[in-house]
Formats: sequence, structure tokens, C-alpha cells
Amino acid sequence: MALELTISGIDAAYGAVRALQGVSISVKDGETVALLGTNGNGKSTLMKCVMGIVRPSTGKIELKIENKNHDLTRLSTEEIVSLGVAMVPEGRRLFPKLTVEENLLLGAFRPQARPDIAKNLALCYETFDVLKQRRGQLAGSMSGGQQQMLAIARALMSSPKLLLVDEPSVGLSPLLVSNTITMIKQLKERHGLTVLMAEQNFHQAIRIADRGYLIVHGEIVFEGESVADLEANDLVKNYYLGTAG
Amino acid sequence: MPQVAHPAFLVMGAYATYVLAGYGVDPLLAGLLLMPVFFVFGLGVYQFYYSTFEGRGSDQGLRGIAFFFGVAFIVQVGLILVFGVDQQLVDASYIGTSVEFGEMRIPKRMLVAFGVALALTSALALYFSRTFTGRAIRAVAQDEGALRLMGADPVRIKRWAFGIATATCALAGALLIIVGPVDPNVDRLYIGRTFCVVVLGGLGSMSGTLVAGLILGIAESVVLTTAGTAWAPAVAFGILLVVLGVRPAGLFGR
Ligand SMILES: Nc1ncnc2c1ncn2[C@@H]1O[C@H](COP(=O)(O)OP(=O)(O)OP(=O)(O)O)[C@@H](O)[C@H]1O
Ligand SMILES: [Mg+2]
Repeated sequence: MALELTISGIDAAYGAVRALQGVSISVKDGETVALLGTNGNGKSTLMKCVMGIVRPSTGKIELKIENKNHDLTRLSTEEIVSLGVAMVPEGRRLFPKLTVEENLLLGAFRPQARPDIAKNLALCYETFDVLKQRRGQLAGSMSGGQQQMLAIARALMSSPKLLLVDEPSVGLSPLLVSNTITMIKQLKERHGLTVLMAEQNFHQAIRIADRGYLIVHGEIVFEGESVADLEANDLVKNYYLGTAG
Repeated sequence: MPQVAHPAFLVMGAYATYVLAGYGVDPLLAGLLLMPVFFVFGLGVYQFYYSTFEGRGSDQGLRGIAFFFGVAFIVQVGLILVFGVDQQLVDASYIGTSVEFGEMRIPKRMLVAFGVALALTSALALYFSRTFTGRAIRAVAQDEGALRLMGADPVRIKRWAFGIATATCALAGALLIIVGPVDPNVDRLYIGRTFCVVVLGGLGSMSGTLVAGLILGIAESVVLTTAGTAWAPAVAFGILLVVLGVRPAGLFGR
């Protein structure tokens, strides 16, 4: 197996606020794994732990890539990115005063991605036509949906092997949510990406997920081996779908 | 980005040029030779700042700025102790002669300074827009955390940016002493002009800065010839006040 992310038993806290407790999940080569959970349950914190932005107090985060094991808790964010892990962060975090194209080129900052810039840029422009039309425009002047496309495209510029996407649907209209999810599905199929996606929108998430985890108050309360598994689960119905379940 | 110390580095560049010129080095060449030295010096100053302030999280609010004020003060006092408060100047073939364009006589030193400044500005503009590090320097001021997600270390980028800004001061300092005599407090003369040009041109816009510089230059010489030298320093502040009141984003601000 070429790639495998294994998180085992991690705890994380912001000062006195405990955000994760004993979280264990895994993501295997070629999978799309959904991390489900409502507001404030720890989805973003878990992703930040993978990227080395938040450090877990206990537990292990291991990434196996091309038969080499890396202990992500000991690496800096820059080193983790260099291994081929990219994140589309919550709130997009674009560089608003740089142009669309400059944002994309910054996505290819890691030296390993630079030889493929021309190819990746062409691919991004082919996938997201609007980015091509607006390549010279400041990123901050675009609409929410366009910014989300740019955030995803920027992450793809680094030729990632593992892509983390934190709530791609936040702040978008239902139609744009649906389009964005479709886009991620296509990208994943084309690039052979492995994806871990945090999402509150259950119905959109299960359109592309192979399986998923439900996180509540910083703990994994259910692991669904398939979409059907997730849909049938009472916890998912109660906690996650809320009144809808 | 803490740029508070750079006016002092600029004067230091002028004095370093003066010293090299004393050994017979052409002032422009001296400025160029000093660039790598100043670059390394800038890296060192930033690293010191990082390990004493920023890296410990004690750079909040005024304390970070206070560090650079301190550095500027030390540089200035150092220059006074070594060179005294008198004005110093340098000599070169293009200083003290002028070219004639019909009715107009333009001092060669001004043409040289203008040309070199233009070249330096263009080189920097290219660097900031065409290179990975240049783009990262512009990005680091906007969102350090996001830059980290691109695989760039914000501290390394900021240190590099500080080095480049300091290296620029070496050549700019050489131009300063080519244009006119320099004393350790000459940066005060330029503070009003700097603010004026930056506000008028809009922060971060290279072409805006150039146009703003031209406007200020023309306005100053008009006032100089009509109202007398005493009024010249008021021009920059006058424009500054008007622009802040009428168009705070500057001429080209978006
Ligand atoms: N920087 C922070 N400082 C203190 N507490 C924080 C911080 N970030 C998150 N938290 C807390 O940690 C917990 C988990 O937050 P996290 O952002 O991981 O949740 P989430 O599932 O991503 O939520 P959302 O759907 O709103 O993005 C919450 O209780 C939150 O209040
Ligand atoms: Mg979140």
C-alpha cells in the first residue's frame, strides 16, 4: 500500500478546553473518508493535528508514504506539506491581495511540486474555468463560491497525495455546495487522490465518501464502514441529522 | 513588517558609502558592494529580534516596534560618535556636473540617482511578482498560517524579506549621499516625504509609488521657486494631510 494515514489515541486541547479525546481514525490509499460532526465537535482540530498546526498531548499520527513511515507529531507543518499532504483550510485562507494566479503559484511552493507547475496550472484552469478567466483578479474580490474553488485548486497545485478538506460547503448556496462536492469527486478520480473531508452537510458528504466517522464532543462515537452503514446508524440519526433523523 | 529601523539603515548605507569612497571607490560601486554585506547584517538583526522577541511571543503591540526603534537609535548614536554631526559628502565624475537639454540644466548626479533608483525599483518589482520567495514575502504579511500550509516557513521568509530591505538601504544610501550631503539625522528630512509618497501612492503599489514620488517632487520644486526654501518641507506634510482627508486609500488604492 502506497499511502496510509493512521491516527491512534490522540488527545488535544486548547489550554483548558479539551478538543479531542482518544481519537483513532485511519485513511487508506485511494479512499475518501468523511469526518462527520456538527459545530465545535473537533473536526478542524483533528485536521490541524494532522498538519502539525495543533500538537496532540498524547497519541500517534503516522503517515506511511512509499513504504516509509513518518511520525507527523514530530514534523513541522512545512515538512508535512513537503511529504505531499495538502489542506484546504476552514475559511479558505486565501491571500486576498494577491491575484488568483499568484495564489495558485504559491500553492506550488514546495520544491517537489515546482517541476509540475505548468501541468498543474493547466489542469486547474481546465477544471475551474472561472479561475482562468479571472486569473489576474485579486483573490479577495471574488465571490464565496469562486474563492472556495480557488482554495481547492491552490491545494491541488502542490501535487498532493493526501488531501484534507475542511468543510468545503460552509457559506455556499446549496447549488454551489453540490457543485463543489462533484468537483472534489472528479478531482479525486482523476488524480488518484486520497481524501479526508470534514463536513456538516451529511447528504452532500455521503455522495462522495467511501466510509466515515462521526465525531461528538471530541470523541469518535461511530465508525461507518460504508455509506449505508452511516445512514442506518442511530447515533448518526440522533446526533448528526438532528431533527431530520 | 517592522520597517522602523530602515531609515537609520539608509543613513548607515550613506555613511558606509562615504567610508568606501574615502578609499577611492566609486560611490555607486560602493553601494552595490555593500548590498550583500547589508543583506547579511539584516538577516542577523532579524534573527536577533526573532530569538529575543518574536519567537517568545513578546512582540505584541509596541514592544516589537520598540526593538527596532532601539536598533535605529543605536545606529544613529554610533554614526554620531564615529563621524560627528557634520555633513559629509562624496565625489565622483557625475557629481557637480550637469547635462543641458536646451534651456534646462539637469545635474548629472540627479540623473544617475534617478536611473539607479528606477532600476532598483523595477528589479524589486520583478522579484516580488516573479519569484516564489518574492510572492511568499507578499503573502506572509497577509496570512502567515496559510503560508505555512503552502509549505513555506514564515520566519525564514520574513528574515529574508528583512535582509532584502536592508540590502536595498545600502544602494539607496549611496544614492542619498550622491544626491546631497548627509548627516546622521538626515532621515528626519525624509520621513515626511516617505509618508507622503506611501500614502499618496497606496501601500504596496510600485507604480503608484513612482507617480506619487514624481508628484511630490514637482510640487516641492514649484513651492521652492515660488514661496522659498523655508516652505519646502511643508509640502510633503500638506499633501499627506489632504490625501488622508480626501482619499485615504491613496491615488491608486482599491
Ligand atoms: N483556537 C482555539 N482556542 C480555544 N478553543 C478552541 C480553539 N479552536 C477550537 N476550539 C474549541 O475546540 C473545540 C473543537 O473545535 P473545532 O474547531 O475543532 O470544531 P469543528 O468540529 O471544526 O467545528 P466547526 O464545525 O464549527 O468548524 C470547540 O469546543 C472549540 O470551541
Ligand atoms: Mg471546523
